[in-house]
Amino acid sequence: MVQINLPQNSKIIKGKYYKDQTGSKNIRKVNVYRWNPSTGENPRIDTYEVDMDNCPSKVLDILNKIKNEIDPSLAYRRSCSHGVCGSCAMNMDGKNGLACTKPHSEIKGDINIYPLPHLKVLKDLIGDLSTLYKQYESIEPWLKSSKKDDSKENIQSIEDREKLDGLYECIMCACCSTSCPSYWWNGEKYLGPAVLLQAYRWIVDSRDEEKKERLKKVADELKLYRCHTIMNCTNACPKDLNPAKAIAEIKKMLVTS
Amino acid sequence: MKDNNPLSPHIQIYNWHISSLVSISHRITGVINIVLLTIICLWIASLLLGKTNYGLIQNFLDSFLGKFIIIGTVWSFSFQILSEIRHLFWDMGYGFDLKISKITGLLVIIGSFVLTILIYVIGRQII
Repeated sequence: MVQINLPQNSKIIKGKYYKDQTGSKNIRKVNVYRWNPSTGENPRIDTYEVDMDNCPSKVLDILNKIKNEIDPSLAYRRSCSHGVCGSCAMNMDGKNGLACTKPHSEIKGDINIYPLPHLKVLKDLIGDLSTLYKQYESIEPWLKSSKKDDSKENIQSIEDREKLDGLYECIMCACCSTSCPSYWWNGEKYLGPAVLLQAYRWIVDSRDEEKKERLKKVADELKLYRCHTIMNCTNACPKDLNPAKAIAEIKKMLVTS
Repeated sequence: MKDNNPLSPHIQIYNWHISSLVSISHRITGVINIVLLTIICLWIASLLLGKTNYGLIQNFLDSFLGKFIIIGTVWSFSFQILSEIRHLFWDMGYGFDLKISKITGLLVIIGSFVLTILIYVIGRQII
């Protein structure tokens, strides 16, 4: 259901202000969403003054700097720092993206950092993605083939392989799904752009033998047709993929097949 | 999941862009159009009540508020039509490229005002 306002326990209160200790002339204010499960307080926005003269170029570098030099209690996910693992997906400057590939020079004014939108917060910038993972499991993202002979390659033509371009690159960072208003309001039932792009990836795979069953399973008023082409997903994707187009292709297949 | 975990902010912090603006306007104008169509039907039905009634409504439509409502109606329908055409192209699988969707979104917004002026001017027989 559409619920514009945040619940009472999620209302954001004013947080702490960490003044710069280095005496640097090149300072930027960074506002970070904080919530500590052990205190029982409402979430707050802490403001850090960060010395930009000694900070590398990406938003993740700022967070690392805060954690290492200012406030070690800050919690966030990160791993590869090269846009491959999708761990550091968060909302920066009002848009979802990967902190490790987003240059802070692109952000004007103060830098606002929030967790991915409309998720249950586990701590600080860490949101709970278990619903999304369950939905991903529900589309059975693995190859279904009756071929028993393992001694030979499962050959695919160059044209068939090309159909997977723009789909297989997805790293499941959830930037798209959590940017989608439809997914905010119907996240329990609507599969969301990330999972639907994956569903399409298996539907168009020429080696997969259950295309029809897959299509039938996804053809549902709530699972698929909650997509109203708002295009927030494609706008947010840090890998420049196009989930909106993938969803449209599924809809088209259902009409034409 | 424990219930005391807060919900991260969503619409409060997410940036608007052309496609999301056109999308929400498409919905709002859709609802408005249903109401407007009903009112237009009632207006036509009220003609059965005779000349005085016709004059009464005509006077209202000639007033400033009446004109505002007429222009608003024309805009609402113009926007809905153009946005729906954009959706039809999407349904055929075209126009999903980010740049193209941005341009078509802008065309819908600008076009709705151009169409409003055209329909109003032609309807009033000014040209």
